[in-house]
Amino acid sequence: MPDVRSTQDELYEEAAATYAAALERLARAYEANPDARRDLLQEIHVGLWRSFEGFDRRCSLRTWMYRVAHNIGTSHVIRQRRGSAQALVGLDELENFPDANSGQEMADRSQALSRLMGLIQRLKPLDRHVILSYLEGLDAASIGEITGLSAGNVATKIHRIKAILTRRFQGGHDDE
Amino acid sequence: MNESPNQTMKELWQHQPVEGIPMSLEKIRKRAAKFEKKIMWRNVREYAGGAIAAALFASFFVKSHGVFFKVACAMMIAGLAYMACQLHRRASARSMPTDLGTANSLQFHRSELERQRDFISHIWRWYLGPLIPGMVVFTLASALADSSAHGLVRQAIADGIMAFSVIFVWRLNVRAARCLQRSIDELYAAESAVE
Repeated sequence: MPDVRSTQDELYEEAAATYAAALERLARAYEANPDARRDLLQEIHVGLWRSFEGFDRRCSLRTWMYRVAHNIGTSHVIRQRRGSAQALVGLDELENFPDANSGQEMADRSQALSRLMGLIQRLKPLDRHVILSYLEGLDAASIGEITGLSAGNVATKIHRIKAILTRRFQGGHDDE
Repeated sequence: MNESPNQTMKELWQHQPVEGIPMSLEKIRKRAAKFEKKIMWRNVREYAGGAIAAALFASFFVKSHGVFFKVACAMMIAGLAYMACQLHRRASARSMPTDLGTANSLQFHRSELERQRDFISHIWRWYLGPLIPGMVVFTLASALADSSAHGLVRQAIADGIMAFSVIFVWRLNVRAARCLQRSIDELYAAESAVE
């Protein structure tokens, strides 16, 4: 019988080594303040390490890792919401939101990234999971597995994300 | 920029500079132990307030000569003890949830919101409710101890403020529970939507 602790450690080390950068990007999407973000990232790592005690291999390591990270991010958003006045929106509402910078060319990558981050941080947790997973390059089936949304629902949300990104980051020309 | 904006945004996102904060196993274990301690102290703080109030009522119980005051103090102590037990059972700051990896985003988000909604909805029954009998007996004891018009007016004003505060807190909780329920309903709708 394998030692539970060493398996837990090995799984954590494998996940942390493979997805360290993805976890940092994810923490950034859930917390704008740099100090609070470092705390959140540590919380995600601790949660991940602990979760591997019950890892049953019924899903891939990647799916497990994203579920843990997004669920801790969701808890963080719920905690933060209690003291915040700004309402979070869904993708459908975001589609109709005016954006002063809409249509500008992305000459400055850091400016574009900061606008993208601002847009993500306004989203409700579930839609935030979908857009982050999309940006991380996950396919619709994986996004469905992580979020629990049906394939059709994920497809609709991705369609909306594409439309929003196209309109906001490239002069209104749809690339689809 | 000739590439599709969606592809460009994906690349921009995936290639953004990261700090590369190192996380060794030793650091993780230390952080986990620190987190447990933090949770323990948060719970201790929550109970300390109730313990101090109970000690004050106990001292009042000993010093007071009126039977009604003694009964009121005993009821307040019993109410506080019941409240502490319920607080421990339902709402003590908990360690990390155990379903972080097994629950998908929808299930996890919904269960977190439902936990909060239940906490708020039932707060009346176990947080404020157990103290009300003691408060009522205190009011009666005060009215019996000082039945002059001046004393009764003073008591009525104090009771009015108390009643207003309780109703205000109750209304706030009802509103918060409704907001949470709307979010929960949205998540149920998202789960059942096939589109």
